[in-house]
Amino acid sequence: MSSHYNPLEHPEVQQGTTGRYIAAFLASAALMGGAYYASTQKLPFVEFVTMAAGLSLAALVSQLVLFFGLNVSQAQIWKGIALFLAVPLFIITIGMTVWAFSSLYARTMPMDGMVMSGQPTLLQ
Amino acid sequence: MQVALDGPWSPLLGRLSLAAIPYSNPILVSTFAVVVVLGIVIVGAALRYGKVGYIWREWLTSVDHKKIGVMYIILGLVMLFRGFIDGAMMRTQQLLADGPNSPGYLGAQHGYLPPYHFDQIYTAHGTLMLFFAATPLVAGLGNLIVPLQIGARDMAFPYLNATSLWLTVSGAALCMISLFVGEFSNATWVGLMPFSEMPTNPGVGVDYWMWAFQLSSLGTTFNAINMIATIVKMRAPGMSWFRMPVYCWSSLTTNIIGLSIFPVVTVALTMLGIDRYCGTHFFTAGYGGNFMLYVNLFWIWGHPEVYFLMLPAFGLFSEIVPTFSNKALFGYPTMVAASFSIGGIGWVVWAHHFFTMGMGPALNGYFSAATMLVGIPTGVKAFNWLFTMYRGRITYATPMLWALIGLVLLLIGGLTGMMLSASVFDYTVHNSLFVVAHFHCMVLVIGAALFAGVTYWWPKVFGFKLDEKNGQMYFWTFVIASLLVFVPLFYLGFAGVTRRLDYIYNPALKPLLWVSEGGIGMYFVSLFYFGKMLYVSLRDQIPAAADSWGTGRTLEWLTHTPVPFYNFAVTPQINARDELAWRKAKGLEGVQPTQYVPIHLPNNTAVPVILGALATIFGFAMTWRIWWLSLASLLAIIVVVIIRSFDKNEGYILSAEDIARMENRIALASIVAEQPKRPALVQVEAH
Repeated sequence: MSSHYNPLEHPEVQQGTTGRYIAAFLASAALMGGAYYASTQKLPFVEFVTMAAGLSLAALVSQLVLFFGLNVSQAQIWKGIALFLAVPLFIITIGMTVWAFSSLYARTMPMDGMVMSGQPTLLQ
Repeated sequence: MQVALDGPWSPLLGRLSLAAIPYSNPILVSTFAVVVVLGIVIVGAALRYGKVGYIWREWLTSVDHKKIGVMYIILGLVMLFRGFIDGAMMRTQQLLADGPNSPGYLGAQHGYLPPYHFDQIYTAHGTLMLFFAATPLVAGLGNLIVPLQIGARDMAFPYLNATSLWLTVSGAALCMISLFVGEFSNATWVGLMPFSEMPTNPGVGVDYWMWAFQLSSLGTTFNAINMIATIVKMRAPGMSWFRMPVYCWSSLTTNIIGLSIFPVVTVALTMLGIDRYCGTHFFTAGYGGNFMLYVNLFWIWGHPEVYFLMLPAFGLFSEIVPTFSNKALFGYPTMVAASFSIGGIGWVVWAHHFFTMGMGPALNGYFSAATMLVGIPTGVKAFNWLFTMYRGRITYATPMLWALIGLVLLLIGGLTGMMLSASVFDYTVHNSLFVVAHFHCMVLVIGAALFAGVTYWWPKVFGFKLDEKNGQMYFWTFVIASLLVFVPLFYLGFAGVTRRLDYIYNPALKPLLWVSEGGIGMYFVSLFYFGKMLYVSLRDQIPAAADSWGTGRTLEWLTHTPVPFYNFAVTPQINARDELAWRKAKGLEGVQPTQYVPIHLPNNTAVPVILGALATIFGFAMTWRIWWLSLASLLAIIVVVIIRSFDKNEGYILSAEDIARMENRIALASIVAEQPKRPALVQVEAH
């Protein structure tokens, strides 16, 4: 009941600190900047996708750890379940999108080894 | 980084100038005049009867889930009316612009709408009907009923609930502003790509659409979080998962879908915004971008969105059919399982919206088969409703009639959906009026369910029933109108008429277009009966009992009619799945508590209204690229949220004595409610 009357006492609120919020913000900004830089470079397609996926994963983990302070404690059970339930959706959407578009590319605009090096980048 | 604009721009007003006011368009000028007159009448009436303070204190700043639900429904009905007018204009244009010899009016070569205006109208029709009519109506009924059905005092986060409403209102406000300042998008409600990009669509219409959609999506996401938290955490003691009404289950499923899909469209719209504002090329056809990526992201959201709207409709049928069959719902566990099955399958079928993309037979085969699977849990539900009615004592009251026609429409829409799920068939009728007729059957299922729900729970909210005679006239005229409008569209689709045409090439199709137009006329007749139903009901206000239909089964029919602001004088103890039916069987439905305990309730707050107003200003400023105003409104939003987070107002306590006094007064009024004529409450109290 006390947490109801003082939201600052709620365990989930207690897990956040100014330092962690700032660190999460800086980490996200740096990783986003890295992704932006990567997109401006003429990288081979597979290398570019791998790098973008790696940076996205790092951003996700940094937000989960720093911003949400996620752990397996009872206080975090709903965040944990939400994350757990989101994983299949990630796999479904990204996996099926990759499947659909790889099939599309192969049928409509075949490129040698799917290399983008000859293509202009996003910002050109 | 900023994209070069087509046309003038100034630091003070951005792209906004007097030229943005469409004063040369007679249709928009007359619409503006009607809106102004209506506004003057409404505001004048509020001033004349001294209701301005009441409306502000008791409604606009309310955090009560019931009032928020009612405001959602009012918003939905107003937008439904505007969306209907758009639809009527589209059908009339197609009737008039039929063949090369058809005359032109008001500057159009054929018909009365030039193509650019026609395109805006069908975009507005789809956008308004889905985001600002169906969604608020669904959210409104959920807000109203779910807390009552689970025995809760309110939603889990009342302030967030009001914020969700006002963000939705801000999106609707942007759509309405676009009627009279600038233009609306001409790129369809789905945002055709790369047509929605800046080089091909340099006006402000797409920006209006984008920001309206974005703001309302935020509101819907917050509402989904709130509804899930409410159902998971705030059920009354004894209400285990499998004692929860099916409508609550469908709301839970719906909002899980909503929470998981709306971020996807938020991302897609953000990427489109970055393309339009900063000149990136996420969705252009060249420069490394891919416009089909937008289509993919849009439908990852878009198809589950269909079930986001459809599952509450199924939940409503599951409440109404047992009540008016005077029987318990058949197959409760399978109903719950079917809801989750539909939600789950709905997440993995999105690419059937673009079979023609060219992803190949393996992918098309998978998405065809997955789409067909939706028919299984939907069939389970349909048979469960039929078995519920089987050997029941059916009463054909208006809500039941709506539910029954909903089942018929589900059959028509479902069977044509099965046809479309076969990709080979879809190739033939892709983007034709056949598809339009199919999905209108499906959204009419939602419409029928919503009308059923509003009629069913109206007495619980307002204390008197809607007039049955005019309600049935409204129902029959609406059904006839729907058949007349949409059955011809199936044939026109087969005849090769594609959707979104401002000109019909073949005069031989005229008879079918006339039938469809006749349906639009019949919709106006149904609108008359809708208005008459409201007028007669408000005039007579025949009081309804707590169990207004006499055969209610669930918890909301246990509390008073109309529901007091604290919902239940004491938190009910739940003993069975159909709690009221269980209490009736035990003779306990009239048992009153012997003592009351204080109730903690939240205070009303103006913050959500202010946030909604600031969001509207922000969307408007971004649309017109008024950067200083965008920044100022965004900063104001952040400051208001920060101030609110330091607010120590923790609500108020309603004392046990106050509750007892109010309960006694309501009990007196309900005795009178059973009499044919209701004397004034003060006379009763005088006794």
